[in-house]
Amino acid sequence: MSLPDRIDPRPPRRIYRWDLDKTYLQTDFDSLKDLLRTAFQKAHEKVAIPGASALIRELSENGDSRLCIVSGSPKQMRAVLEEKLKLDGVRWDEFVLKDNIGNLLRGRFRALRGQVGYKLPAILESRVKAPAEAEEVLFGDDAEADAFIYSLFADLIAGRVDERVLSQVLEAGGVYPDDAERVRAAWKQIPVADPVRRIFIHLDKLTPPAHFTAYGPRVVPIFNYFQAALVLLADGHLSAPQVLKIAVEMVQTAGHNIITLSNSFQDLLRRGLPLQQAAVALSQALEGPNKLLAAMRPMPDILAAFSKRLVALGTPPPPPPVQAVDYVSLIHHALPRNHKGRTKP
Amino acid sequence: MGAMVVKQPQPVTIAFDVMGTDHGPAEVVRGAAQLSLDSPHIHALLVGDRTLIDNALAETKHNGERISVQHAADFVGMDEKPGEALARKPNASVAVAARLVAEGEAQALVSAGNTGAGVLACARHFQLIPGVRRAALATVYPTRSVRGAKEDPFSLILDVGATVEATADDLVTFAVMGSQYARIISRNERPKVALLSNGIEPQKGPPRVVEAHARLSEMKDINFIGNVEGIDIPKGTADVIVTDGFTGNVCLKMLEGVHETVVELAQYAYKESLRWRAGLAMLSSGIQRIKDITDWNQYGGAPILGFDRIFIKAHGRSKARAIANAGKVAAKVVANNLGSSIREGLQK
Repeated sequence: MSLPDRIDPRPPRRIYRWDLDKTYLQTDFDSLKDLLRTAFQKAHEKVAIPGASALIRELSENGDSRLCIVSGSPKQMRAVLEEKLKLDGVRWDEFVLKDNIGNLLRGRFRALRGQVGYKLPAILESRVKAPAEAEEVLFGDDAEADAFIYSLFADLIAGRVDERVLSQVLEAGGVYPDDAERVRAAWKQIPVADPVRRIFIHLDKLTPPAHFTAYGPRVVPIFNYFQAALVLLADGHLSAPQVLKIAVEMVQTAGHNIITLSNSFQDLLRRGLPLQQAAVALSQALEGPNKLLAAMRPMPDILAAFSKRLVALGTPPPPPPVQAVDYVSLIHHALPRNHKGRTKP
Repeated sequence: MGAMVVKQPQPVTIAFDVMGTDHGPAEVVRGAAQLSLDSPHIHALLVGDRTLIDNALAETKHNGERISVQHAADFVGMDEKPGEALARKPNASVAVAARLVAEGEAQALVSAGNTGAGVLACARHFQLIPGVRRAALATVYPTRSVRGAKEDPFSLILDVGATVEATADDLVTFAVMGSQYARIISRNERPKVALLSNGIEPQKGPPRVVEAHARLSEMKDINFIGNVEGIDIPKGTADVIVTDGFTGNVCLKMLEGVHETVVELAQYAYKESLRWRAGLAMLSSGIQRIKDITDWNQYGGAPILGFDRIFIKAHGRSKARAIANAGKVAAKVVANNLGSSIREGLQK
């Protein structure tokens, strides 16, 4: 882990954990050519997913949070990744990268592609240092195993997963014994609490949302970061003006428009997320002291389109039920993408 | 040297009537989902039972930024009488979708449901283009020859059922509308337009056909090639064949019947004799190629022409690919401003 980008002595009220590739950065490494191009890209050539840096900046504006990044990129890319984050105005507190050279030299080939044995101990060890009452929101993607690992992390520290299930998962996930031991050691140090509020999964591969139903309503698959901002507004992590700022940036820099944003809003409503009040708050924000935002066309039109999308649904569906996650039966979600045991979404 | 500017297509919203098709709502949803992945500028507005739509969408790879849903509790079934059904169910999906298009929430309507209900819903919510007395239902049919920059094997026949008794005025209007549509969809700058009759001579046929022939012969902007006979339809002699709704419908059903009979005969031959089976096997790649070229799924759907808004009627048996292609046809027609082209064509 490198030195943090900032040192804030206050205990955080909220922790935001982010993955980088395909969650924050538009990364393509599905072929060897893409992988090589990604490895040799300079900081200014790397492109953030629209709205991601704006969302991180707005979340950090509240001053009571920490940004912890755990990425599967190799440690050798630290300098260029840090430079990219600084270019985007993103300030972090923790930044963990994968020791792929170390894994290679030690002949730990499973660890090169495995996610559970890398991310789970990393985020548990980070949680050990956090105040018990600090809430968490996690951001990942559908390329690997983020929904599985983040949910397991949440349920481990909430005491909803026992030692037996954990052992089964670690074994089936091909986790090396020393990493499994790190998981157990960190887990035992964390006081039982239920701090994980949301897990956002950026649908980089456009995996059908039903693929994530088994993880319950805590996991929210998103097509873009405006959707995350809307949910975080409803959850009280962002204010309406902050969400408007994110939307404006997405309209101005990423080609989003009245249709894509209102469709994104309706998509969440149709999945049972209670966003009606969020829509009201956004409208009120345009009427209040943020008149500058009202002048930023086409935000008023976009919010009017929200109302139409809401009415179009008739009675909005109820929120999906909370359910226990069966990690043993979902272990195939956590295996590397081309592993023979992994089923296609 | 300046950078090359790539012109992005304008965003277009297509309303899909999701209900009342032979394969059920999921197939239409899958088609729209495919469209959301293939065509970033097309937005799908899915009209129908919200729960059914959402369940199908949740299981299908799609881009949620490009899809929205309008709940409609009712729908018109394939076997229902259109007038009665729409009177009984004013909030049927096809009526709601037509209303949304009329209100500007979408620029075109695609439906694979009850054809009569679709035409009636359009007649209630859309306006006829000035100069058009009656709308025409068009369809496409695979032919021996290809046409236009796209080398399109399909020719257009209209009317196939919207206007049972057409006047000479109507036939001339249908010719203009069909010509403009073929120009856009087949990328065929001067589509060959013909009247369907019982002989190629100008004086052949009922008085309305003879009169229409005389008037079309004088229209410089229409590439009118005269009369054609039924035999010319599958040959592809003309790119656009104009007739009244009664004759067109009889022709269409006969062509479908011939197609089905040929397929049945081939199946019979396959079962009947080993030698015939071997022969068919040897021809299989050629048969498959012809099937691919003339697959109506590729075309997607055919338009109702004459209204100020676009309605593409997809086949009731349409699967996802045909629905997606019908959406693309609708978007192309919108982008090329078919209504204005027809209006201008009629003024000349």
